[in-house]
Amino acid sequence: MLHIKPILSSLMRSKSAPVLLLLQIILSVAIVANASFIINERLSLMQRDSGYAEDQILTFSVYNFDPAIDNAKQNQVDQQILRSLPNVIDASSSNMLPLSDSGWMDRYTDSPNEDIAKSTPGFAFYLGNEHLLNVMGAKLIAGRNFTADEINTNFSDSGMLAMVSQPLAKAFWGDESPLGKTVYQGDQAVTIIGVVEKLQGAWVDHENFEYSVIQNIDFGGYGSNKSYMVRALPEHTKGLEEAIRKAFHAENPNRVLDNFQTVAELRDRTYSNHRLMATVLSIMVVLLLLITALGLTGMVMFNIQRRTKQIGTRRALGARKRDIIQYFMVENYLICIVGGVIGGMLALVLGQQLMSLYSLPMVPVIYPIMSVIGLLVVTTFAVIVPAAKAANISPAMATRSV
Amino acid sequence: MFFYYCDLAWRSIRKTPMLSMLMVLAISIGIGITITTLNVYKTMSYNPAGERSEMINSVQLWSQGLDTWDEFSSNITYMDAMILRNNVELELKAATFRTGLALQSDNPKIEPVLNSVRVTDRDFFKIFSVPFLYGSYWDASVDLRPAYQVVISQKLNLRFFEGKNSVGKTVFLNRKPYQIVGVIEDWNPQPKYYDPLNGAFNEAEEIFIPFSLTPQEEFEVWGNTNGWRTEPMLTYNDRLVSEKIWIQFWTELNTVEQKQSYQEWLTRYVEQQRAIGRFTDTAKTIPELVQISDVAKWLEDNNVVHKDTKILVGLSLMFLSVCLVNILGLLLTKFLKRAPEVGVRRAIGASRRQIFSQYMVEVGMIGFIGGVIGLLWAWGSLTALHAYFEVDQSLTGLDASMWFITPLIAISTAVLAGVYPAWVVCRTKPSVYLKAQ
Repeated sequence: MLHIKPILSSLMRSKSAPVLLLLQIILSVAIVANASFIINERLSLMQRDSGYAEDQILTFSVYNFDPAIDNAKQNQVDQQILRSLPNVIDASSSNMLPLSDSGWMDRYTDSPNEDIAKSTPGFAFYLGNEHLLNVMGAKLIAGRNFTADEINTNFSDSGMLAMVSQPLAKAFWGDESPLGKTVYQGDQAVTIIGVVEKLQGAWVDHENFEYSVIQNIDFGGYGSNKSYMVRALPEHTKGLEEAIRKAFHAENPNRVLDNFQTVAELRDRTYSNHRLMATVLSIMVVLLLLITALGLTGMVMFNIQRRTKQIGTRRALGARKRDIIQYFMVENYLICIVGGVIGGMLALVLGQQLMSLYSLPMVPVIYPIMSVIGLLVVTTFAVIVPAAKAANISPAMATRSV
Repeated sequence: MFFYYCDLAWRSIRKTPMLSMLMVLAISIGIGITITTLNVYKTMSYNPAGERSEMINSVQLWSQGLDTWDEFSSNITYMDAMILRNNVELELKAATFRTGLALQSDNPKIEPVLNSVRVTDRDFFKIFSVPFLYGSYWDASVDLRPAYQVVISQKLNLRFFEGKNSVGKTVFLNRKPYQIVGVIEDWNPQPKYYDPLNGAFNEAEEIFIPFSLTPQEEFEVWGNTNGWRTEPMLTYNDRLVSEKIWIQFWTELNTVEQKQSYQEWLTRYVEQQRAIGRFTDTAKTIPELVQISDVAKWLEDNNVVHKDTKILVGLSLMFLSVCLVNILGLLLTKFLKRAPEVGVRRAIGASRRQIFSQYMVEVGMIGFIGGVIGLLWAWGSLTALHAYFEVDQSLTGLDASMWFITPLIAISTAVLAGVYPAWVVCRTKPSVYLKAQ
C-alpha cells in the first residue's frame, strides 16, 4: 500500500514547505519545457543538409581598385588562374555565397504580361557559369547543366537558362516537371533546363531558404567587387589561400583579396546565433534541474530531522526501512505530479505567449510531459539519499529523546 | 545594532555551512544568468542618441507598387533622396549609404586595404554630433558641386600620418586623390544607429566622402538594395533612375511644429508622385504616406534587439524566480529549525522587530554574497560568449551599471525570499519552547 491518505493529511498540516516545492516544480516544468522545445527547434534547423560540399569550397572576395582593369576580361583570366592552381578541382565566380547571410533574392513570373502573371516564390538567385554546379557539389536530379557556349555576360543577353532547386520546382509546378518551361524576368524569357536536388540560399532563417536558382550569367564581369568559389579537397583548402593570393597579385597587384573562408565556416558563422541560443538554454536547463534537486535535498533533510521522532516511532511499531523510504518517495511524487500538471499547463500558456509575441511555433504537449518525467527522475535521486538516511534512524533514537 | 546583526548573521551562516552554501549557490546562479542576459539586452537596447533621440529623424516614404511590402522600408530611392536633399526648408539633412574603397596614401610602405566607407552629406556630422580632432566637415558647396574631399578617423590618421594634423594632405581611394578636410575623434556609436541595417554592432566607418560624388564615381552599395519592379540594372545610371531603394535619409527636426510641417511637405510630395503614376500602391492613404522615425523608433523598427535576447531575458527572470522560491524554502527550513533559540531570546526580552531585522540582515548578507559571486558568473559567461560564439565585443563587456544593478537585484531577491520565513520565525511564541526545555 502506498499510504497516500496519511501522507496527504501530514502534508496538509504544514502547508508552506510543500506549497513552495509545488511552486518550484511548476516554474521548473514551464521553463524546462519551453527551453527544451526551443533547443530542439534550433538543433534541427542546424542539422539540415545544405546540398553543398561545405568543407571543400573555399570562398573569397576580390576587389579590383585599378580603374584601368577591364572587369569582364579580368574575371575570365582569374578563373583560368584558379582552375590551373594545383589541387583545385574546379572554380567559378559567383554573385553570392551560400549560407553567408547576404545575397540576392529574386522571383520569376510565368508570363511577360505583368497584369496576369503569377510569380514564383522568392528564391536565392545565383549567377554563374557551367562550372558553378560542380564547384558547389550540388546534385543534378533532372535535366542538364549549362554548357560553355551558353554562358551570358549580361542581363540583357538572350538565351537565358536556369536550374532550379527541387523544393522550388515543387512549390511552383507541383508534380509537373519544370524542365523546358519558360519563365520571365520582366520581359526577358528564361528556360528551365535542370533541377538540383538541394541548394540552400543565404539566409538560414528565411522561409524560402530551400528555394534557389542558378542562371547562366558569369557575374564576375560586373563591378569591381566579386566573389569566387574554389573547390578542393579539405586538406588542400588551407594552403590554397596563399597560392591564390600569390597568383592573383602576380597577375595584377592592384587588388585586395579578402574574406577567405570555406562554406563550412560560413555556415558555422550564420548558425552561431542558433548555436548560442541552444547552448545557453541547455546550460539553463541543467542548472535549473541542479538547483531544484539541491533545494529538494535540503528540504527533505530538514523534514527528516523534524520527523525523527515520528520515524523512530513508526520503526518501533514495525515499519520496515523500505516503508520509510517509500513514504518520502510517495510524498515527493505526489507533489511532483500535481506540480507537473499545473506546470505543464503553465508551460503551454507561456509557449502561447512566446508564440504570439515572437512568432515562435507552439510548444507540442510532449515537451511538458517529458519535462515532468525528467523532473520525476531528478527528484527521485534528490529524495532517495536523505530518505535512505532517514530509514537508518533506529527506533531507540526516537524513544530516547522523549 | 546593524553591525551586531551582521556579526550574528555571519555566525549563523557559518553554523550551517552546507545550507548556506546551497542558498548562495542558488542565488548566485540565478543572478549570474539574469545579469548575463540583462547585460546583453541593455547594451542592445541602448539608445546612443540620448537626449537628442527625438531630434534625429529618419525618413521613410510609402513609395511602392501594388502588393509589394507591408511595412515602411528603411531605405529610399536615389531620385527621392535627391529631392529631399534639395528641400531648402530643412536646416540639416543628409542622405547616406555605405560603400567600400581601397585606401592608399603617399606612404608606399603601407599596403592598400579595402575599407568600408560612408558616403554622405556634410550635415551628417552635425546631425550625429560627430566630434572633430582636426579640421571640419566639407563646405556646403561640395554637397552641390562634388569635390574629392574626405574626412578620416583618428585611427587612420595615426596609421598614415603618425597622428599629426593631416588636414590638407591627400589619401587615395581607388587610386583617386582625395583631400583630407577633417579628422574625427574616435566615434563608434553602439548600436550603430545611423545604419543598423548592415549589422547594428559592427564598427563605424573610418572614411567619409561626399554623397554628391555618387553619380560620377559610381560607388558600389555595401548594403541592401530592394526593388519592387523588374528594372534593368546594367549601368550605374540604371540604378540612379530606378525604383530600387538603397539610401537612408536623416534630418534634424527640433520641434513638434517642424516635424509636423515636414510631415505635411513629405505627404504632398508622395501624393504628387502618386499623381504622376510613380507610386501605385494604395494600401495607405493620407496622412499615413510618410513615416518620420526618431532614433528610438528607428532602432525598434530595425529590430536591433534580437528577439532571442528578449526570450532569454524572460526565461532567465523565470529562472531567477525559481531560485527565489528555492531559497525561500531553504530559509524557512533553516529559520524554523532555530525556533527554540528564538523562543528563548523572545522570553528574555527581544522584540519581534529585533528578531525580524536580525533575520533580514542575515538574508541580505546571503543575497549580497550571492550577488558578488553572481557577478563573477556573469563576467565569466560574457567572456565565454565573446570567446566561443563571436558575439560582438560591445555586447559582452559588462556594463558599468551592472555593478550597481547586480547587488540590488541580489539583495532584493534574497530579502523578498526572506520576508516570509523571518515573519514566521519572529512570531514564535516563547512559551512553547520554554515549556519544551
